[in-house]
Amino acid sequence: MTMEIRVRVIDLHQKIGKKPILTGVSFTVGVGECFGIFGTRGVGKTTLLHTLAGIRRYKVGQVEVLGYNPRKTDVFKRSLGVVTQEPSLFHDLRVIENLDFMATLKQAKGQDIERVIEQFELQDYLRESAEALEAGPYQRLSMACALINSPVLLVIDELIKDIDLYSRRLLLRELNRFVQGGGTCIWGFSQIEQCLLMHRVGWLENGQLTELEPQETLEKWQQQEKEWLLPGGEVGV
Amino acid sequence: MFKRYWTITCREFIYMWRDRGLRHILLLGPLLGVLLFYGIYQVGVLKAIPTAIVDLDRSRTSQELVNNLIQTENLEIQSYLENFDTLEASIRQGEVVVGVVIPENYSQQVALNRTAHILLVIDGSNMIYATNATSAVLSVSRNLGAQIGIKTLLARGVQLNQAREAYQAIVFREEPWFNPTLNYAYFLVLALALNFWQQCCTLAASMTIIGETGWRSWLQWKAIGISQITLFSCKTIAHLITFMGLVLPIYVFIFLVLKFPLSSSWWTLLSFTFLFVIAMHAVSTMMSSFASNGVDATRFGMLIALPAFILSGYTWPLEVMPDFLQNAVWILPHTWFFQGLNYLLFKDPGWAFLSFYFLALAIIALVAYSVTAIVCYWRNN
Repeated sequence: MTMEIRVRVIDLHQKIGKKPILTGVSFTVGVGECFGIFGTRGVGKTTLLHTLAGIRRYKVGQVEVLGYNPRKTDVFKRSLGVVTQEPSLFHDLRVIENLDFMATLKQAKGQDIERVIEQFELQDYLRESAEALEAGPYQRLSMACALINSPVLLVIDELIKDIDLYSRRLLLRELNRFVQGGGTCIWGFSQIEQCLLMHRVGWLENGQLTELEPQETLEKWQQQEKEWLLPGGEVGV
Repeated sequence: MFKRYWTITCREFIYMWRDRGLRHILLLGPLLGVLLFYGIYQVGVLKAIPTAIVDLDRSRTSQELVNNLIQTENLEIQSYLENFDTLEASIRQGEVVVGVVIPENYSQQVALNRTAHILLVIDGSNMIYATNATSAVLSVSRNLGAQIGIKTLLARGVQLNQAREAYQAIVFREEPWFNPTLNYAYFLVLALALNFWQQCCTLAASMTIIGETGWRSWLQWKAIGISQITLFSCKTIAHLITFMGLVLPIYVFIFLVLKFPLSSSWWTLLSFTFLFVIAMHAVSTMMSSFASNGVDATRFGMLIALPAFILSGYTWPLEVMPDFLQNAVWILPHTWFFQGLNYLLFKDPGWAFLSFYFLALAIIALVAYSVTAIVCYWRNN
């Protein structure tokens, strides 16, 4: 049985300025799948994720998101949730105002706001300013905003990096529910241990993406660590 | 869909309100401006110009002249000095602005029907004082000249009636129209307050684009798929309402509380102001579209807002500006607004005349918004 494809990327090329970042990236992601995009800083994870989310335009290659070409239409964004690497919620609004505002923009309903507040346990933060939140609660709010319109595709970038363990557990629980419920997730990350949370991983390096199983990804990283580790230990200074 | 528009518009109000610096500038700036300028110009007409007299003649005839000067409406005789040197020192130290020096042979020259030379010294370092002092002194010298002339003719045997007729053959009657008392306050206070207001509004409007694209929340706008036109129009509506809301208290204070003259109807004034607000917003937004960050946007906005009032020709006539400026300044909506404002305040020249001003502001707005759209499109692609 073939899996329904939600995201299809064929030979995607992207540049930042004149510097080529992606040089022929291809992959597909199906229903109920969590696809990780792994790479160190600056390899183009965010560029790739922003292209899929329709935030960044592309000129060369083919991208199909939820059956639509992001270059031609924004229709797919109705069923899309995005959590960016940098804090991108509305800094001048409080937590509840952000939820309310996002709900209106995404044409969600009042009960959706209540749902995500409960899911991400945001009750104690509602009156606080979004920009005053610590990293953990902020990511919970970001995820709540991303899921408020009950999307089928979630594009997330460094979701659980450097956050408290309680928030991490909450986020992973809800993400798991989302995927198990038939949602598709594309998740950019740079901490190798997170690869075990994915179904498949795309290893991004030198503008190319190599698809690997999570265990393979871990082994490849360990192999590279052995290769590049200084004889005297991890720290070579 | 309407709820979406309304929410984005409301969020813009919240954004402006929660930005403490912007809120203070917008709320307090124009009101402080109008109070400040009214406080400064409330006298309206410059009277009691400090004047000193040096009477070297010390005769009955010279005393008559001094009495004439004392009765002058706009001059206030503050001191009687001994000689020219003390007068010079007094003017130099700013104690008096006008000095009248009556020569030693004044009465003798008058008695002999010869030309008597009276020196009128005016401190030209303060142009406002100097202009008013010159006007006051000229009116004294004209009256005095006529009196002495008649006396001279009488001394030569001409009948009194004939002598008077000779001096009254041509009568220059001064009749200032539209601002009969030549009141500075009527002319300047509103214009200066509106200049303050337009600067504050320009500052706010110059953040229209960079105020969104400069923040990371811009990613959310793009990810949600809100069209730039929707976002821009909602923000613009919020700005226009705010700017009009800020100018209303100024108009109420000026026209209803202080009862300054307004020749045109309120409807004409408000619609003209509204069109200017749109044009000003368009130009500021256009400048914002060129900026790569908030600081640049503010700089670009100020680049227009600061000199625009001076260039508008309100305080210094366009006709005496260099040729290239005379034409160039009409690109700015401020020129049309401040020139038009003067007509609305004092003359009300009618719709046929003003329609040209309305049209010009509309065209400027259209062009500036179009340029903004092109720049934004070009930047996005």
